[in-house]
Amino acid sequence: MPDKTLPKTDVVIIGGGWTGLTAAYELAHEGQRCVILERGNHRHDATSFGAPEEHDELKYALRATHMMDVRKSTLTFRNDTSQRALPMRRLGSFLPGEGLGGAGIHWNGQLWRPLPSDLEMRSHYENRYGAQFIPEDLSVQDWGVTYDELEPHLDFFEKICGAAGYAGNLNGEKRAGGNVFEGPRQNEYPNPAMKQPVSSTKFGKAAERMGLNPFPFPSANVTQKYENPYGAQLHPCAYCGFCERFGCGYFAKADPIICVYDRIKEHENFEIRFQSTVMRVEKSADGRTATGVTYIDADGLEVFQPADIVCMNAYALWNVHLMLVSGLGEPYDPETRTGTVGRNYSYQTIASVDAFFEKEIITNPFMGAGALGVIVDDYNGDNFDHSDLGFVGGAYIACKQYHGRPISYQPTPEGTPRWGAEWKRAVRENYLHHADMVVHGSSMSTPGNYLDLDPTWTDAYGRPLLRMTFNFPDNDRKMAEYVTNRAVEIAQNMENVTSVASSNLAAVGSDYTVVPYQTTHNVGGAIMGTDRNTSVVNRYGQMWDHHNVFVFGACLFPQNLGYNPTGPLMGLAYWTLEHLKNDYLANPRPLMDA
Amino acid sequence: MGQEFSRRAVLAGLTSGAALAALPVNHAFAALDDKPFYFLTRDEARFLASFCDTLIPEDEYPSASQAGVVDFIDLQLAGPYGKGRYLYMQGPFFEGTEQQGYQVSLPPAEFIRQGIAALAEAEPRFAGGDDGLRLLVTTRLSEGSVDLGSGLPAKPLFDELWTLTNSGYFADPMYGGNKSYAGWEMVGFPGAHAYYLSFVDQHNVPYPQPPMGINHQPGRDGSMPSGLKPQEL
Repeated sequence: MPDKTLPKTDVVIIGGGWTGLTAAYELAHEGQRCVILERGNHRHDATSFGAPEEHDELKYALRATHMMDVRKSTLTFRNDTSQRALPMRRLGSFLPGEGLGGAGIHWNGQLWRPLPSDLEMRSHYENRYGAQFIPEDLSVQDWGVTYDELEPHLDFFEKICGAAGYAGNLNGEKRAGGNVFEGPRQNEYPNPAMKQPVSSTKFGKAAERMGLNPFPFPSANVTQKYENPYGAQLHPCAYCGFCERFGCGYFAKADPIICVYDRIKEHENFEIRFQSTVMRVEKSADGRTATGVTYIDADGLEVFQPADIVCMNAYALWNVHLMLVSGLGEPYDPETRTGTVGRNYSYQTIASVDAFFEKEIITNPFMGAGALGVIVDDYNGDNFDHSDLGFVGGAYIACKQYHGRPISYQPTPEGTPRWGAEWKRAVRENYLHHADMVVHGSSMSTPGNYLDLDPTWTDAYGRPLLRMTFNFPDNDRKMAEYVTNRAVEIAQNMENVTSVASSNLAAVGSDYTVVPYQTTHNVGGAIMGTDRNTSVVNRYGQMWDHHNVFVFGACLFPQNLGYNPTGPLMGLAYWTLEHLKNDYLANPRPLMDA
Repeated sequence: MGQEFSRRAVLAGLTSGAALAALPVNHAFAALDDKPFYFLTRDEARFLASFCDTLIPEDEYPSASQAGVVDFIDLQLAGPYGKGRYLYMQGPFFEGTEQQGYQVSLPPAEFIRQGIAALAEAEPRFAGGDDGLRLLVTTRLSEGSVDLGSGLPAKPLFDELWTLTNSGYFADPMYGGNKSYAGWEMVGFPGAHAYYLSFVDQHNVPYPQPPMGINHQPGRDGSMPSGLKPQEL
């Protein structure tokens, strides 16, 4: 029995990040009383993220004090089922958020759209290369929603962010200087592309000489004074170099607090409760719907909040955890390959390529921004012929200038020792003369990579921790190697370059590790689809088993595409909300036949 | 426990006032000289000075200890980091794979204290020893090929100490290291007062401003305000 039961609300929303605040905004304006439960605290760009105090590399980048508190909750991890999973005792590979805005306050602002073929991955590859082409050990699926269906929503979210870039496909017209591989856009970006430093400029020129198609990073670092459709005011990016892992006190990086929360916080249908950690979603007696959620409030009391609709807007991993501890859906069993919750967890392949310049090239790496750089997308998705390659998927190659924060930014040429006199000299000599490239690639789902509950360790509330079983499939290793080699070729073709080094975290023979930071792009585990036997939610983000539960975020991705997830997952959020508002509210029921 | 000696003396391995007077005035510890360490004992501080200076030795730029890194580590170990604020510490504890990360059953301050004691016992001539010996021991520790006893894995100890040393050399000087912007001057990082909207697309132009930390005041070096307690860091 809970300590108290509150009056019923129309909609209860779990998590106050990008998707949760957006759901509240859209549903509150539809006359729905919305309550957001956020496990962390209130914070705001104006009062919490101001310079110079925010520009503290030790506090925010190393100690990760804007992120989730691992003392209370983490997950356990193993590479495969032959190992004992052990707690991820310290944040490393990925950095889920906590507090108002969630991970949306410390993102880089790299704002992508999926390729049309990404969303129809299985059918696209089978049509182009034959039914046997996708390796058998991959559980790749179509998303159940098409690019044309998502386009208006992707477009709208770019307006919410004041996205900066240059369209490469405007209503079908291909335009050099933009991404010629992207799906058709109905509109140009709301703001012009960012300025470019010397490193990425040289990269772009080399790529062009090689016949590739470079273009500026699509960015939610805003480039001029801008008002978004909700009325939020954004300012031009200062290129301060404190973006990812930091909040933006300049109001220049689109985030959920300034872009959404500030525009809904006074609405009569809106309420947010902080320090409110949801323990479980409660089910009705017949199990077909949810009745609300039980949470621990700021005073430590167990509270039941009844609701007509439950929206799950926690971070991808914690949505899956909450389903498992609540008994929502059927847990995935890798032995029998039945059940769906926890199935198709995947990640992102990351490799880095470093180019070192002659001394007259001065890069000033500290003049950076989260989405500053130039991209080559020629080897992403199915933008290139895979016939003879033996893998599916791809990666974008970015020459980026995110930051020059000196604890984390210490590029040294290949063969440099890790410490000592030689290392010290190499750090000093190369800091201002280096181009930083990343190969940011897809990661395919497999039957053996999954999420379930750990039998040994618990969180601060006594619930079993989530257990992650994951390693990169051979497919991803082949892909990462292939595209990394292309990136090295570009680096070698850049002018004034004296040496090139590369490091591939998904290389053959190196197992996935939770220690070094890679990306906060954990995807899958509660995937969408059109078949209830292979997906947790239908193509509208509605749970097959409990029709008044709607699920948001990257947990919906059946496998990971080569792009950063925020753009695609926000496109999906607006798509789900459109169907919730225009169809479900008037007639609550399963929106697809099982 | 060290209180009766100045930091300068401890780290220089000196005990007499006369020898102390011979140290340069702008020594890294001058500002803190009359304050005790918050966490470290004298022996630990001496050991760390030797260890950190093996990792970041003196050249045209200061060594780690000259740049205040031992002070930095002292404050970190006394504060939230050392106490395990950034770790999930629920047991049981098992030895894991490298991919599973930190599985030590001790919070960092205690791990480092016990690790230094075990290492100092195994290699009694390390602190103040010659360069060759220090390089050899540090290399073996970094490769995990030193047996420090159960629960004290060598490579995680090295990783913890190396990350601390590196951070101390380059973190904002208000944390006690990066003294007089030693690390930032060395690479050319201008610091926390960052606004480059009109500069980012000027290619190959050296940035003219000297480094400024969060706590920077004109004419000062951005070091920590006096009287700051470790729990505030």
